[in-house]
Amino acid sequence: MGRPPAIILRQVSKEYRRDQIRIPVLSRLDLTVAEGEFLALMGPSGSGKTTLLNLIAGLDRPTSGEIIVHDLDLTRLSDSQISRWRSDHVGFIFQTYNLIPVLRADENVELPLLLTKLSRRERRQRARTALRIVGLEGREDHYPRQLSGGQEQRVAIARAIVTDPYLLVADEPTGDLDRQSAEEILNLMEQLNREFEKTIVMVTHDPNAAKRATRILHLDKGQLVDDVTRAEPSPPKVAESAASGDPPYVADLDTARRQEARL
Amino acid sequence: MKFLGYILRNARRNPVRSLLTIGSIAVCGFLTVAMLSLFSSADQLREEVKGYDRVIVMSSQGFAQPVPIALKNEIIALDQARGLNAIARRAADGKPLISPFSWFGGKYKDEQLSLFAQFGIDPDVFFDIYTELTLPADQLAAFKARPDAVVVGRKLAADKKIAVGDKFPLKGEIYNYDLDLTVVGIFDGPENRDLRSCYFNWDYLNEGLLSKASGVGANNAGTILIKCASTALIPPLCQAIDQATANSDRATKSQTEDAFIGQFAEFTKDLQTYINLLGVAVAFALLIICGVAMAMSMRERTREVAVLRAIGFRKPQILGMVLAEAVLIAGLGGLIGTGTALLLSKNWDAIAPLTMGFFPYLRIPPQVALAGIAGSLLIGLIGGYWPALRAASIPVVDGLRKVV
Ligand SMILES: Nc1ncnc2c1ncn2[C@@H]1O[C@H](COP(=O)(O)OP(=O)(O)OP(=O)(O)O)[C@@H](O)[C@H]1O
Ligand SMILES: [Mg+2]
Repeated sequence: MGRPPAIILRQVSKEYRRDQIRIPVLSRLDLTVAEGEFLALMGPSGSGKTTLLNLIAGLDRPTSGEIIVHDLDLTRLSDSQISRWRSDHVGFIFQTYNLIPVLRADENVELPLLLTKLSRRERRQRARTALRIVGLEGREDHYPRQLSGGQEQRVAIARAIVTDPYLLVADEPTGDLDRQSAEEILNLMEQLNREFEKTIVMVTHDPNAAKRATRILHLDKGQLVDDVTRAEPSPPKVAESAASGDPPYVADLDTARRQEARL
Repeated sequence: MKFLGYILRNARRNPVRSLLTIGSIAVCGFLTVAMLSLFSSADQLREEVKGYDRVIVMSSQGFAQPVPIALKNEIIALDQARGLNAIARRAADGKPLISPFSWFGGKYKDEQLSLFAQFGIDPDVFFDIYTELTLPADQLAAFKARPDAVVVGRKLAADKKIAVGDKFPLKGEIYNYDLDLTVVGIFDGPENRDLRSCYFNWDYLNEGLLSKASGVGANNAGTILIKCASTALIPPLCQAIDQATANSDRATKSQTEDAFIGQFAEFTKDLQTYINLLGVAVAFALLIICGVAMAMSMRERTREVAVLRAIGFRKPQILGMVLAEAVLIAGLGGLIGTGTALLLSKNWDAIAPLTMGFFPYLRIPPQVALAGIAGSLLIGLIGGYWPALRAASIPVVDGLRKVV
């Protein structure tokens, strides 16, 4: 292994309880995600993808088992410690963007920075930088309702990366988007993974989206049944990237290098 | 504080709901502050009046029943006979400071209803008894010299554009006699005194009544006003007078001016109790209004709160932000209500004439104004607490699943 593990799940089980009835969702699950990996989680509806993602992101606690992220055992942290950890190290991207409607784009992006000691000036500056990275320069003062779905999701991504977290979690980030916007978001996520070396865990139903990841896992009946490391990287979408105005980059080279490293 | 911008946006999110909440708190805050101030102004006046050691003798059957003027000299005699020497005397000539004090209750000029007080008094001693009322020396001399003279308060003169030398006809309503008076002076006094009243010579009224064939209503002093030499001498004097008249058709009730005013306040006392009770009920209702408004707001924002929590906002921060919003909205209501009450007190002169001199003055005491604002903040704090706690306590994962 060339890269240290970012996420280690050991014997993780999760069950929900509803009126004395136990609903097992995940059972004795083991998983290791390397730093800089872009993991796609697939599986049928109700298989527990969101549940797993929430556990990895420290939003929920497992019924049993250990979750270690960057050498930190999340199960041992108090609620407020885990909140602080999330604000420092995890970026969230949701299917429905979840922007605050009464805040402008730059204010939405700035929101996580309110929890830091940064000055107002620094906060503004970082928010601008994050918006530039997602290609929304000049849209700073737009409210969410004045943006398209794809643009809203980019603002959400800017909000997710503004604190420079090492982990990005995305729950069906393209689920509400049309083909074109979805591609743009996926390009962006790919870029964040490659250029900014973010570890990404993405839940998706869309095989096309999953192909962008460096690794795809299938979750079924509480088990990770299929651990497919892509033998062949998907062809780089250079033409599409150029068309949508994103800078083209040499996708296959990078992916190849990583696969080598893993082997 | 860096969250303030966000809190303000949240408060403006549903403007109609926020405005309704602010409005209801403002209206109630205004009424509460105004009422409390009105009562406190009246209480303050009574407190001040105590320092002047004045006694008012009225019929034991109530102030609507007049006492005879003969009683005046009987009281002077009694005071001396008993060796009380309770009645104060004028330094210059030793004249006892005692005067009839008779409510005339007439109509001014062609007014349908005159809401200002008119009293028949003894011009020779009246301003020695009411030392807080001032009248220029030449006007006082004219008042004493001229039988048909009347002096009017500064505010009444201003309201009705009355100047010295003007005719001042008062049509009798209680008495079957019309007074044809002439203004000889305009008196002034502290802001909280009734400067919308007028005083004329009791003798002039009495002679007028006597001159009429029937003479009905003559020789009645109404009440008798006395200035005492000291506070300590008030109880023995009152006792002596009431004892002397007891079991006669002229039985009296003698009391301090403060207690006398208190009688008029008696019916407002009941009112005050009801208003206090009502105030508690209203505060409770406002708590619910504020709480329900915040609960609705927070329910709509369940998912947003969950997102904030996911991003790393901790429970106390959410709690604080929601409470701040509630306190902001409620506090704004309190501020508007109290501000309106202050505005009312500044413009009280426009309303005072309608209170017949019972509330000549409305001052909002700083502590009442502060209580109004503090009360509204408290309503926000308490009313917002439950919704805030609820919002902060919803598990993040559940909040994120909520589709709103
Ligand atoms: N709070 C909860 N209480 C009880 N059961 C729950 C709770 N949250 C999730 N579940 C159950 O756990 C199972 C897994 O849910 P989860 O949302 O993780 O599935 P998913 O794979 O993300 O599905 P989808 O693709 O539809 O989003 C489902 O059967 C769901 O009903
Ligand atoms: Mg899901």
